[in-house]
Amino acid sequence: MTSSQRSFTASRLAACLLSASLAVAATSTYAAGEIVIGASLPLSGPLAGFGNYQKWGYETAVNDLNKAGGISVGGKKMQVKLVIRDDKTDPNVVASNTETLISRDKAVAMLGSCTPVLVNAGALVAERRKVPLVAGCDPLGAFKSVRAWKYAWVMFFDEGDLSTAPFRMLADLGLSTNKKVAILHDNGPDGQVVGGKIWPDTAKAGGYQVVQNTSFPVDAQQFTTMIGEAKATGADIVLVDAIPPQAIAMRKQMAAAGYNPKLLVMEKGAEPEQFAQALGKLADGILVGGYWDPSFPYPGAAELGKRYETETKQTQSQHIADSHAAAQVLLDAIAAAGSLDREKINAAIAKTNKSYVIGPVKFDAGNTSAIPITVMQWQGGKSVVVWPKERANGKLIFPLPATN
Amino acid sequence: MNLEVVANSLVSGFLLGGILALTALGLSIALGVMRLVNLAHGELLVGGSYLGYFLLRMTGIDPIAGLALVGAAMALMAFPLQRILIAPLAGKGMEAPMITMFGVSVILQNLFLLAFSADTRAIDTPYAASAVRLGPVTVPEIYVIGFAVSVVLVVLVHLLVSRTAFGRELRASSSDAGAAAAMGVDVRRVHALTFALGAACAAMGGVLLGTAFSFTPSSGGTYLLISFAVVVLGGIGNIFGTLVAGIVLGLLQSLGAVVFGDGYRDLVGLVLFLLALALRPQGIVGSGVR
Repeated sequence: MTSSQRSFTASRLAACLLSASLAVAATSTYAAGEIVIGASLPLSGPLAGFGNYQKWGYETAVNDLNKAGGISVGGKKMQVKLVIRDDKTDPNVVASNTETLISRDKAVAMLGSCTPVLVNAGALVAERRKVPLVAGCDPLGAFKSVRAWKYAWVMFFDEGDLSTAPFRMLADLGLSTNKKVAILHDNGPDGQVVGGKIWPDTAKAGGYQVVQNTSFPVDAQQFTTMIGEAKATGADIVLVDAIPPQAIAMRKQMAAAGYNPKLLVMEKGAEPEQFAQALGKLADGILVGGYWDPSFPYPGAAELGKRYETETKQTQSQHIADSHAAAQVLLDAIAAAGSLDREKINAAIAKTNKSYVIGPVKFDAGNTSAIPITVMQWQGGKSVVVWPKERANGKLIFPLPATN
Repeated sequence: MNLEVVANSLVSGFLLGGILALTALGLSIALGVMRLVNLAHGELLVGGSYLGYFLLRMTGIDPIAGLALVGAAMALMAFPLQRILIAPLAGKGMEAPMITMFGVSVILQNLFLLAFSADTRAIDTPYAASAVRLGPVTVPEIYVIGFAVSVVLVVLVHLLVSRTAFGRELRASSSDAGAAAAMGVDVRRVHALTFALGAACAAMGGVLLGTAFSFTPSSGGTYLLISFAVVVLGGIGNIFGTLVAGIVLGLLQSLGAVVFGDGYRDLVGLVLFLLALALRPQGIVGSGVR
């Protein structure tokens, strides 16, 4: 390389670096008078079904607040800017997104991602940076098991409450089965807790016989052998903990194997509407733990469900509620603090004691606020609350409709 | 373990292996003829799943009946892709085309996301979740259909390569591209057609997998890895070797699932992949387009 070529290359490199740094500077500066809140969400990858609901919930809460004039900080009304980054359902990306949102985007506080593996990854970064983070979509046991939290707050259901719900429902409604239970769960953190521990313990305590307990990687697609084993045991009750792609594949393979248990619970995977859309009639009768429905008597619940369906032309999901409430809790805390000081915002979150769209929110010493569990069932493409009786808005289909 | 469960698993593995062979065939011939490590192979497969899905939703045409349409549509899209992106890199080693296809893989994933959202989808047909009894064993109907379709397509590709003028040019280009060009073979055209043929095979395999399982814009990576294992086991470019390897892999994965549990299927596949690379890199049957 000649010296002129070298100098040309060096000058081009310098120009590139300069334009790159200008681009970074441009993205890191927001309009004065804006309060920046960050969120890393699974907008792609296996959990994208959840992330898109959360995005709508977060954005709706922030947009409503901005339309109402924003938040008063130091006597001055400020608009809130929500910066969302896609974490591609990867905890490493959640961690780097959170770091970027705090350091480059200057977020004063954060909203969480979805599922323990993602929420906890972001919460650990926020905790280290002493930035408040409010989340739903993270079962409380999995959240609390990580560490004693100071800056991270979660409002969601407790795994124990969720996992015991099918058994409580069976007893409550007096459903007749052979009391044989097959458990198939992924080996993710919540799958291990729910399928590996709570379900078998609760089943045994309730006089049920666990005839199979098998785990599988979160990206598995073939379940032929474990379904064959479950069928061979003759279990009337099948409890599955898997994300949507796996739950959909598993349901098809159960039908293809001619296995028709009386009760089929598919935690996580059967939650989003895409589950019912992908399976059609095969989704009918499948149960999934739930915590929210627009019919619940909480402020704004019915309106939120209607708004989602009007705006997106899709059926509502409970994830719009916990995300909307998480954003409102954080926005209320910033308003109560009347400051952008993260310590003051965090202290205000701790004092939350108000009813939101998901019901009353009041944090305990472990920084969690529990949402009571219901059992939902897919019926004709719609998610219907079937238990407990006092909240049910439909009648349970039992046994599971035969497919072959 | 119940003998019926073992028999069901092994027969299912055998049948699914045939489908895996079809999905790997495109990768194998691209590697055998063009020396192209097609890292976007998984996305071409997922593209086929989407084509089958929307063919059914928008026209009501059964995706298996419309398999040729899906293959032709993918081939039509793949042909210019090769001409524009891969052909200019001929003679510049294996790295540049490989990295280009990695870029194509990322771009396609994002295009799927933009166009179809990140939702999990499955091709919903009556035979997607129904059972077939073959003597004492019960297997998913889609596995039987998929196996039959895959074997027919593999045989057709074999006939195309071994009995036609295009096949002769393809084999010549694979053995020695320079000599083939000197003898008047349009190697660029052969490469573009080979790429299109491989993409069509991947897309048709994608329809079968999208019917048997589920898919998302990012599902391609998993199938790429399995396809590589099949290609290495079967011998690069070896059409019948790919079929044999697919079936062997399907059977051994099922055996692994029976012994260790379904969660260890991929582990068995990848251990086999590494063993084949270490002990018999030319594959079970041998490499070279045939």
